[in-house]
Formats: sequence, structure tokens, C-alpha cells
Amino acid sequence: MAALRSMSRLLMNRNLSTTIKRGYAEDMSFTFASGNQVFYDGQNVRQVDVPSFSGSFGILPKHVPTLAVLKPGVVSVYENEGNVKKIFVSSGTVTINDDSSVQILAEEAHPVENIDAAAARDLLSKAQSQFSSAANEQAKAEAEIAIEVSEALVKAAE
Amino acid sequence: MSAWRQAGLNYINYSSIAARLLRQALKADLRTEAAKRNDSHIRITKWEAGKPIKSSEF
Repeated sequence: MAALRSMSRLLMNRNLSTTIKRGYAEDMSFTFASGNQVFYDGQNVRQVDVPSFSGSFGILPKHVPTLAVLKPGVVSVYENEGNVKKIFVSSGTVTINDDSSVQILAEEAHPVENIDAAAARDLLSKAQSQFSSAANEQAKAEAEIAIEVSEALVKAAE
Repeated sequence: MSAWRQAGLNYINYSSIAARLLRQALKADLRTEAAKRNDSHIRITKWEAGKPIKSSEF
């Protein structure tokens, strides 16, 4: 009986220490880089919203470790000072680690204010005509991607 | 499964299309600089006995 009690105490202690360890992760070390620019390098931020193929989701400190593939769209970064930065990503990956650090790696990323709304609309209509004139399945699929991306661009530029 | 995967494309293809479109949608002053990232070039040179023999560009 005593042995059982000490064992259960041991188990409880283990649970306690893991809870405490996770409790330390109040900060979120955030890294965001693309082929053209480094936006954040290990900076502490409050929250990050990302568009991914498994749905759009927000990341707060202590988020469960996750890997996701980025979808073209706007990443919102809520900085500690209260500003919100909106950055359009073409594609890439997001990694959330056990220690609450987050990395976003994008092929191309630009602040939304750098997107030209007229150019985005132009791309969308071009992609649509590309889709209707596509000769084979691959060209059709490529045009479909172009429509999806330029729709996201038009939406972000609004 | 998404249509582009069904058509034999992968995420690398998807990613490069998306990146190219984003570059084209930038404001005019940024667009030319960004367009330089559309292509990448590799030059391969074969060396034999300390001398370049043949070089080719891709």
C-alpha cells in the first residue's frame, strides 16, 4: 500500500513538473523569413494568424506543436506593442515547436500595402482567360492555381 | 485531393506559381526588382587536370 502511494506520488510529481515546464512558455519567439526579406528574427510577439491548407488559424504562446503548409494569403502579426502587421505570403511552411517558438518560411512575402490592387485584378482576369483556354489538364490545373492566388491577392489589396 | 495534385503537380510547382504571381502584383517600383527572382541560373563547369573543360548554363 505504501509502495503504491509513493509510486502514485512519483507519477504526480512528474505530471506537475511537465505542467510547470510548459507554463514557462509565456513568450513566443517568432521568426518570419522569405526569399526576399527577413521580417522577424526571434522576436517576441503576442499572436500570429496564418492561412494554411489545414485552415486558417491563430497562434498564441503555448500552442500545440504543429506543422502546416501555407496557402497564399495574409499573415497577421500582433506585436507586443499593439501594432498589427499584415504580410502577404505566396506559399511556404509554418512550424510551431514545443518551446513555443514559431517559424514561418515563405517563398515570397510582402507587406499588403505593397500590393497593387489594379495589378492583382489584372492577374485575376488573365488567369481566368488562361483557364478557359487551357488545352490540357496540367495547364488547366496551373490556371486554377493562378485564379486561387490572384483572388487572394485581390482580397488582400482591398 | 486538390485538382492540381490530381493533374500531377506538387506543392513546389504550386509554390513557384504563387510566388511569381505575388511578384507581378507588386506596386510598379518594386516589381522590376522582384522579377529578378523569377528565374535562377546554374552554370556547371567540368574540370579535368586543373583546367576547365566544358561549361554549360541552365
